[in-house]
Amino acid sequence: MNKKLRVVSERSESPRATDTAAARPTYWRSLAELDQTPEFRDAVEREFAEPLQGLPPDSPGRRRFMQVMGASFSMAGLAGCRWHEDKILPMTRRPEGVIPGTTSRYATAMELNGIAHGLHATSYDGRPIKIDGNPLHPDSLGAASTYHQGSVLGVYDPDRSDAVSQKNGEGRDVSTFEAFDKAAKEQLKKLRTTRGEGLRVLSERSSSPTLAAMKDRWLAAFPLSKWITFEPLATNGRAAGTALAFGKPHRVHYSFAEAKVILSLDADFVAPSFPSGLANARGLTHGRTPDHEEMNRLYVIESAFSSTGATADHRLALRSEQIKAVAAYLDAEISAKARPLPEQGAGQPKPNAAFLSDAKVQKFLDAVAKDLLANIGKSIVVAGLHQPAEVHALVERLNVLLGNSGRTVFYTEDRADAATSDFEGLKALTDEMAAGRVETLFVLGGNPAYDAPADVGFAAALEKVAFSVRLGLYEDETSQGATWHVPAAHYLESWGDARAYDGTISIVQPLIAPIFGGRSALELLARLLGEEPKGLELVRAQHKGLLGDDRRFRKAVHDGIIEGSAFDRVSPKLTSIPPVKLSERELSGAVSNGGFEVRFVPCPKIYDGRYANNAWLQELPESFSKLSWDNGAFFSVATAKELGITDGDVLTLTLGGKTVDVPCIVAPGSADGSIKLALGYGRTHAGRVGGKVGTDVTPVGGNANLIRTTEAPHFAAGVRVATSGPGKRLANTQDLYAMDQIGLDGIAERLPELVREAPYEEFKKEPHFAKHLVHQPHEMNLWVDPVSYEGHKWGMAIDLNKCIGCSACVTACQAENNIPVVGQENVAMGREMLWLRVDRYYRGNPNEPELRFQPLPCQQCENAPCEQVCPVGATMHSHEGLNDMVYNRCIGTRYCSNNCPYKVRRFNYFNYNLDVIGMTPYTPTEDPKMKLKAMVFNPEVTVRSRGVMEKCTFCVQRIQNAKIPAKNAHRAIEDGEIKTACQETCPTDAIVFGDLNDKKSRVANLQKLERAYQLLGEFNNRPRVQYLARITNPNPELA
Amino acid sequence: MAAASDFNPFQSPPKGDNMFAQITDNVTRIMEAPKPPRAWYIAMGIALSLLTMFLGSITWAAWNGIGVWGNMMPVAWAFPIVNFVFWIGIGHAGTLISAILFLLRQNWRTAINRFAEAMTIFAVMCAGIFPGVHIGRPWLPYYMMPIPNQMGMWPQYRSPLEWDIFAVSTYATVSILFWYMGMIPDFATFRDRSTSTVKRIAYGIVAMGWRGSSRQWHRYERAYLILAALATPLVLSVHSVVSFDFATAQLPGWHATIFPPYFVAGAIFGGFAMVVTLAVPARQFFGLKRIITIRHLELMAKVMIATGLMVGYAYGMEFFISWYGGSSYEGFTFVNRLFGPYAWAYWTMIACNVIFPQLFWFKNVRTNVWAILLIGMIVNVGMWFERFVIICTSLTRDFLPSSWGYYVPTKFDFMTLGGSFGLFFTLFLLFCRYLPMVAMSEVKAFSPAGGHARPHLHHGHDDAAHAHH
Repeated sequence: MNKKLRVVSERSESPRATDTAAARPTYWRSLAELDQTPEFRDAVEREFAEPLQGLPPDSPGRRRFMQVMGASFSMAGLAGCRWHEDKILPMTRRPEGVIPGTTSRYATAMELNGIAHGLHATSYDGRPIKIDGNPLHPDSLGAASTYHQGSVLGVYDPDRSDAVSQKNGEGRDVSTFEAFDKAAKEQLKKLRTTRGEGLRVLSERSSSPTLAAMKDRWLAAFPLSKWITFEPLATNGRAAGTALAFGKPHRVHYSFAEAKVILSLDADFVAPSFPSGLANARGLTHGRTPDHEEMNRLYVIESAFSSTGATADHRLALRSEQIKAVAAYLDAEISAKARPLPEQGAGQPKPNAAFLSDAKVQKFLDAVAKDLLANIGKSIVVAGLHQPAEVHALVERLNVLLGNSGRTVFYTEDRADAATSDFEGLKALTDEMAAGRVETLFVLGGNPAYDAPADVGFAAALEKVAFSVRLGLYEDETSQGATWHVPAAHYLESWGDARAYDGTISIVQPLIAPIFGGRSALELLARLLGEEPKGLELVRAQHKGLLGDDRRFRKAVHDGIIEGSAFDRVSPKLTSIPPVKLSERELSGAVSNGGFEVRFVPCPKIYDGRYANNAWLQELPESFSKLSWDNGAFFSVATAKELGITDGDVLTLTLGGKTVDVPCIVAPGSADGSIKLALGYGRTHAGRVGGKVGTDVTPVGGNANLIRTTEAPHFAAGVRVATSGPGKRLANTQDLYAMDQIGLDGIAERLPELVREAPYEEFKKEPHFAKHLVHQPHEMNLWVDPVSYEGHKWGMAIDLNKCIGCSACVTACQAENNIPVVGQENVAMGREMLWLRVDRYYRGNPNEPELRFQPLPCQQCENAPCEQVCPVGATMHSHEGLNDMVYNRCIGTRYCSNNCPYKVRRFNYFNYNLDVIGMTPYTPTEDPKMKLKAMVFNPEVTVRSRGVMEKCTFCVQRIQNAKIPAKNAHRAIEDGEIKTACQETCPTDAIVFGDLNDKKSRVANLQKLERAYQLLGEFNNRPRVQYLARITNPNPELA
Repeated sequence: MAAASDFNPFQSPPKGDNMFAQITDNVTRIMEAPKPPRAWYIAMGIALSLLTMFLGSITWAAWNGIGVWGNMMPVAWAFPIVNFVFWIGIGHAGTLISAILFLLRQNWRTAINRFAEAMTIFAVMCAGIFPGVHIGRPWLPYYMMPIPNQMGMWPQYRSPLEWDIFAVSTYATVSILFWYMGMIPDFATFRDRSTSTVKRIAYGIVAMGWRGSSRQWHRYERAYLILAALATPLVLSVHSVVSFDFATAQLPGWHATIFPPYFVAGAIFGGFAMVVTLAVPARQFFGLKRIITIRHLELMAKVMIATGLMVGYAYGMEFFISWYGGSSYEGFTFVNRLFGPYAWAYWTMIACNVIFPQLFWFKNVRTNVWAILLIGMIVNVGMWFERFVIICTSLTRDFLPSSWGYYVPTKFDFMTLGGSFGLFFTLFLLFCRYLPMVAMSEVKAFSPAGGHARPHLHHGHDDAAHAHH
């Protein structure tokens, strides 16, 4: 792949960067047509009528006749378009930097919940096919999450809205942009006279400076209008908490790499839904490299397992509502020892909570406090964003008292209104709408009709708005009630800008012209305000100050960031925090049915439901339950036992009179009495993947928003659980917890050999423990080694100390390797096709388990069991040691899979690409929407049909793409030049690929580490992948 | 059943007191009757329905993809391969009876060898279909054959599947030759007794000009002996090779050196069970009680108890080795067989293959035809489950617990399994009607009138003489 970054030319002839797709044809035959000159239009309308009329009737003349006929032919060409029109790229002049058939990368950015993540998009012949992180971006550092990896599929989603539509009674009519523009302009003309009375804009959260400026201009034009921001996963606890502690809302940034002791209070700070989560993950795991450096120590107190909790050295399961008392307790402990200044106030009084007197909890907290105090200036305390303001205030107080501020924890000032609640804003708007006080409403993105809390009747209130406009990628739940729906442009289709959590500005660069002619929010508003509706011009004008000249703008677009645009770091003064109020519940220990806590979490796959129609993400196994195509209520083992429920039982959760039906998941490590429930499911108008009422596509999962309230949108108390239906077979890719005792015993017996680990102290004493854990007898081969590996010898090292189980690698692999989606039923049957899986194992006591992840690609064995048993030689050993699959030879005996000890091979039981590629090569699909789906394929990887086996290839196409230019340039391939898709996206750098014959390569050196071991190496398969044993760093006091 | 009615031409006692004539009459009457008994029609109707279901289900699988079956990951081999091994196993008794018992001078074999051989061939045909249709691209099984081609493809001979191709096809070829050659003198009898021109010509062609001359008998007996000697190692080799599919793999539960003898013993066990399952109704409905006597059935019951004990020993020895071998993965696999999610399949197998055959120790059980039939059918079920246990249970839980799964067959799996019996019985019923179901010439040699217990077959002119009756 071409690693050199390119900038999309901002000249209008670029095939990717058309700003005004609706106004001007994307493909054109002449400059006159392109510009739509009056003469041209005239000519088109008149056809050849006039020239004939102008001809003197009595003297045609041969020459004149030929002229007329010639003109009429060409006119017919211009006016006709009656023949089949094939769209081709007008490459008579090759645009700069575009070489057909090669890939190039462009920097762009994607915004989620108001935070930008810098990305590199790979473009192949004008279409984006792959997303990766931008190494220059502070939140990415080269990594991308499942959301980003999956987002490219959304560009080619055939269910995306492809036309403007207008409400007509109960139904909707297809309309045009012109009709909408006319209607909107008339409406706004009216509003200008009333200064925007009854005009409201509801926008999703955005950090775009251009949009912010647009908002100011809008509010200036319509002073009586209001602009409301709503994001279903918005939190204001941190802003309100920092306002409490420092007087003003602040953002908090961390340098986990510098920290020695880290305490997380219900914070999954490595999750992609957490601000700077991927950069945090990099920092955290950087400090967990025991080979050369000291290890950090991570304590996590949380209500259900998270990636952070799985990485923890010590973990305590408490309900989310109990965290406040924990924070108060720790403040009391630490303030007593750290001696705060008088203006910083005294510590909290020790809370009199029942659960805190539990010996285990107390021991844990005392050890944490002691450890934090022993590491002044080298620790971090971080609270979950869903936690209330008091918790955040106390946590930042602890960070200041522990001397972390300015060393491991940094602050920047947040917006003044950051502490206000999005939910209350939405409720106020909905009340206005219901009262008929809103006459005109623009909904820019978001999907409040689906994801507003249950006590906000947004959908019903929307019906009362006379003129409502919904800008959305899909004609979804919200669009159903809007008078106008306008298709939005995907972020890969539009110009824009957005800020990272630390304020760094990225330019959002389009990779393709809007496929369905959609508009970005910027373009829509500009048009309504009567401004030039060109995204690029708007963005460029916005940043004129920072990036005056064209060269600097181009560099910013090229790099993906504007250097030096981050917010200034500040050292806020800690003020005294009044004693926090703790309710009866927050102090209570055990809770019983009817009083359970429910915690609403962003789905690690489909976020708030916006990716519900993304088949890659729906099919991705959730990190902890390994459940795909569904959500479930996560219960601790003890609570499930108490309720007599098990995996797959369909439950009705009742909260405040509202109910939702979801299956039960027994999730060891959850806090007793706390239920984790992912948002984003139960979409009724998502599409053919996520569910569409009225078709045979039933909604995937249960909608957690149905029991959510404005008062407690993140976690709430008082849930009653009842079994409502027979158990269902869940589409999980790894056994759930409910396994027979034989199986559990078998796992417990072999797990130490599969996931090898040791405490840090023992590792220092006996660094070779992992190699000697299993006796590896002297082995002899049945067959002679096929090759001697004189050239390259590809290998991989996977650091189990670094894997956080986020599964970004799995989606990256799916995008890179054209891995098909098989659907819920086939996943339930065990036929998922993912080449790379992340195994999840629980360890220890089911009530206080530890959790281990193990990514498992093909191990590319040197003595491969699969190769020996294939009767047709369809899986062969390459000279570089790869187990190559020859799809054309494969007849599908599946013997290779049976003989694979790792079971990493995947079989096409059906033609999973039937819709897209057709049954045979001679019967291709003709459906244009299905052809669109085919556009996401990576042209360098075969699209497999049915009946063949497939598996991880170590991204052999990437290897070849590096080998060819290296050979042409007569040079060796440099280490790190080839990155597998999984490696490239990994936030923690847990996967390293390279040439084992290159003694200086990273992978060769990692495989030489003492803690490197082969999985099932005692069977003499000689796997090319080695795992680096996990090293924990337990506190001796808690051992 | 209705077939036992007085109007059944097959049931009327043979005329005359000449033993040879009676034998010939008994056997040829079936072919000569203008219409087979109604039971035959009923059975044929059922068999053809099943055959249609079989063809329908495999066509459905070929059209849509084999995902219509329950196969999944990790259980990539399931019903189709279980059925394959099951049918191959059935196909063992025939050649064993024909070849090994012939070489061992077990003269009682003559009553049953013909249809045991037929059973073998039909079972191998049923078996042979499965490897072809179970593959993901069922239009390409010829890739496994060493056919020179422009694609530069050649089979990969390290694969036990490739060995299977040769083992099974050799076995099928030799079995067919052996069966056919044995039928030549009987075809001549059929030809000579045929009343219609069509039959005379048809049987005449397959009789290959047999006249019953001394020279022909001499050649025939030599050839028969040679083929028997050739077929004998095949009895042992084919199922040994089939067992290599599993034994050479790394999977716990498959990776076992005991597999070749264990599979051969199991195959003979299952094959004899199938022979009695077929022999009991056949002698009942086609009036062959005098030829296939209760003594024959009792001897087969004895073979079954012997091979059943061998199989039981193998079951026990697998456990011993899994413990003695010290591999925790292997140990787990066997505990999982006993008490895991598929324990029901394991205990079904044990009950059918080890416990029920013990009833044959009682003389009154092994001389009761219906008891023999019932136990034979139970053993057939047990042997099918043995393959299910080995193949599917082992695959469900192998090395890495993350890849464990639970296999559930679909209705198409059952249709294919049931349908394969349709193919088998269709062929078998056609055989009963149109081919000599008992080797007349051989039976005569060992009948009281033929001077029994002679080492070689000496028919002389007897047969030709009786052809005129």
